[in-house]
Amino acid sequence: MTHRRGKGRGTAKPLLATPANQDDIRVSDLSATISPAVRLKGVSKTFGPIQALKPVNLDIAAGTIHALVGQNGAGKSTTLGILAGRISATTGDVEIGGARVDLGDPRRARAAGVVAIYQELTIVPALSAVANVFLGQPLSRGYLLSEGAMQSRFAELAGRLGVSIPTDAEARSLSVADQQTLEILRAIQANARIILFDEPTTALAQPEREALFKVMRDLRAEGHTLIYVSHNLDEVLGISDAITVFRNGSLIETRPTQAWTKAQLVTAMLGEEMGDIYHRRPASRLRDGEPAISVRDIALPGAIGEIGFSVRAGEILGVGGLVGSGRSSLLRALAGLEHRSSGQIEIAGREVAWPRTPRAARALGIALVPEDRKHQGLVLGMTAADNVTLPKLRAIARSGLIDNQLAAEVAADATRAFGFDPKRLFAPVGTLSGGNQQKVLLARWAFDRPKVLLVDEPTRGIDVGAKAEILDALRAFAEEGLAVIMVSSELEEICALADRVIVMSEGRQVDHIDASRAELSVHRILNSAFGVERHHHV
Amino acid sequence: MSEVSSSRTSATAPVRRRPTSDIALRYGLIAVLIVLIAVSQLLYPRFLDPQNIKNILSQNAPLGIIAVGMTLVMITRGFDLSVGAVYASGATVFASLAVAGWPLWAAGAVTMMIGVFAGLINGTIVTRLNVNPFVATLGTTSVFSGLALLYSNSSPFVVSEKAFTLLGRGSFLEIPISIWVLLMVFVIGEFVLSRTVYGRSLYAIGGNDEASRLAGLPTAMLRTTTYVICGACAALAGMIIASRLSIGQADIGASMALDSIAVVVIGGTSLMGGEGAVWRSAIGLLIVAVLTNLLDSLAVDSNYQLVIKGTIVVAAVALDAYARLRR
Repeated sequence: MTHRRGKGRGTAKPLLATPANQDDIRVSDLSATISPAVRLKGVSKTFGPIQALKPVNLDIAAGTIHALVGQNGAGKSTTLGILAGRISATTGDVEIGGARVDLGDPRRARAAGVVAIYQELTIVPALSAVANVFLGQPLSRGYLLSEGAMQSRFAELAGRLGVSIPTDAEARSLSVADQQTLEILRAIQANARIILFDEPTTALAQPEREALFKVMRDLRAEGHTLIYVSHNLDEVLGISDAITVFRNGSLIETRPTQAWTKAQLVTAMLGEEMGDIYHRRPASRLRDGEPAISVRDIALPGAIGEIGFSVRAGEILGVGGLVGSGRSSLLRALAGLEHRSSGQIEIAGREVAWPRTPRAARALGIALVPEDRKHQGLVLGMTAADNVTLPKLRAIARSGLIDNQLAAEVAADATRAFGFDPKRLFAPVGTLSGGNQQKVLLARWAFDRPKVLLVDEPTRGIDVGAKAEILDALRAFAEEGLAVIMVSSELEEICALADRVIVMSEGRQVDHIDASRAELSVHRILNSAFGVERHHHV
Repeated sequence: MSEVSSSRTSATAPVRRRPTSDIALRYGLIAVLIVLIAVSQLLYPRFLDPQNIKNILSQNAPLGIIAVGMTLVMITRGFDLSVGAVYASGATVFASLAVAGWPLWAAGAVTMMIGVFAGLINGTIVTRLNVNPFVATLGTTSVFSGLALLYSNSSPFVVSEKAFTLLGRGSFLEIPISIWVLLMVFVIGEFVLSRTVYGRSLYAIGGNDEASRLAGLPTAMLRTTTYVICGACAALAGMIIASRLSIGQADIGASMALDSIAVVVIGGTSLMGGEGAVWRSAIGLLIVAVLTNLLDSLAVDSNYQLVIKGTIVVAAVALDAYARLRR
């Protein structure tokens, strides 16, 4: 756990210059009438010399959804980890249902009725849906599995939550949302009264999120207590009963949700008025030049087809749509990652061959910032600096020999604009936070400048402060003359950045919105994606 | 990788603190080597005799040369089991051409071409046909040895020409030429891997192939070159052994693949790719060579030696896995 040094957008002024006066902070007592499901008394955690969590007092009322928010390193995940028994507290007591519990071991937490559902799901891909729900605790008679009993129990649980998952489907064939549901069913089956969710919606598309929220509300109605860590403040405000804000390892404040506004949450999280990170960032210069990239008839058998658009230098094209609409396939095809794809492509007005390998796409000046940073973007064991210079090693070499002095300078130059701490340049990139990893990937293309930059889910799993920096960086790329094509599940981001938006549904392009002529809103994109207003066809 | 880059960049960047256990794992090998040498000297007083050291090194020159090629392959997360067969083929072809009266330089050039060609085949099968390197090179091992046996009609080529023995038995400045060649290969290998664009690319591919491909590196081509270099090293090693023994025969080198992988792994180059260094393989080679010499001089039964060496290789891999787990 590292203390994140806040960086103001575009300024070097530290965000946390005026820490809130701890004495003034009063934890609102939400549980005057009911006894709390969870009570933390002076719970703190120290990792070596770093105090990751200063003593926390917190009551969480039974039968509520309680959200914990804060930037990375604020202490919310540490708190969640202590409750889950994954991290043992250095000081303090945890009471569950009024009784003091000695956690510090996931199995003891489980016995106390606490189950955590992490971002990284613990689903066994080759087993069936049912087997995954009863993983480790199968229903049996003697040594024989009671398949029938498990099937009917599964149906009962699923029915209670209003979800339908084929019982015999292999878990790997299910969507992430369904896999997550299996984990929730598993938790209920294990008699969990308190369910911890760590960033449950990051991998979900909008309708799937809605479905998850419905499940969460149903669980609350059944009397479960849900503790929920998320970066998505709109969702937190929409679903929770109470919100606790953490900052720099301290609990800052708990209030009932209706007593919070988004701006107040952001201020409490960042310690300074940050405003709306999704403020609109339109293109500042005229966009009447030649298209930097122009594509027609893009097709990938079985995935996408009938797509065509052009993007000028300096312009950001947003690609809206639901998960599974073919957004990512479109970017992958353009980046040369789908060798079966085809289409017509013009770069700077010149007809060129459709890229079928990443190398061909790079030769055309097309670069991708992939959704999966860890597997497709970064060489985790290498330093941040080495990752920046990777696509153009020749630029840091003299007659084939790497010039380390030059490499260090070049990497420092490329990362500076993104507010990247130069001290971290020589740390293995795998040890950095998601926000810093994304900055390294963006710095890579600031160093080896493409003509067309494709970005897939640029702020996934990144905390609020870094999110604003990433969005600003994308606009800065466009201002410097790149054509940017951006896919994001967070439609607010597209609305904040894009000059034009194409909307995809079932692999087809169903809408085209020019922000200078029509109103660009999340609502408009969703309506198109759901086919509500199909008369907007292009 | 990271130890290479951080030591190189330490002049310009704040040094990252490393846990002590990590340092012990990284540099513990050198300590192991020193202890091993001290023990050898105690048990066998003529161990540090210059003549003995020359013997140890020249005996192990073919193994060391192959280990350098293997290091490159393994850093890209590859594997080459066919080095033994290429080594035997190299020895056979080099000797046969000498017997046929070819000038030695031409015989050597053709032998090296055979090594390069064998590596090209391995690399192509692995990168273009996407066959797992373990299976691919296990298959080509059989193909290459079969071809070498057919070519030689399963009988050795005995060379009587005096000049032929120069590479294996000759000396320059009182040091055997095979040791010079070994040193040269190690120095070039270390330099290429740690200092050049090519070397850096190999680490990137081994660390994350998909990310490297997306960054625009020609990953398939780069991987293929490591097999080519490994094949060339094996052929060179074959020439040295043929010259040393004045004989080229196709049934040698059966243990070469395992021995060279052992040298690389004991040195600490990771089986998972992306990490390792040629200097590490040099330490690995010295450990294996000193241990063999010690066991030989103590007249330990060669069957026991097999057991001991095998145990050490498994222990080295387990240590790598353990270090990885702790990270």
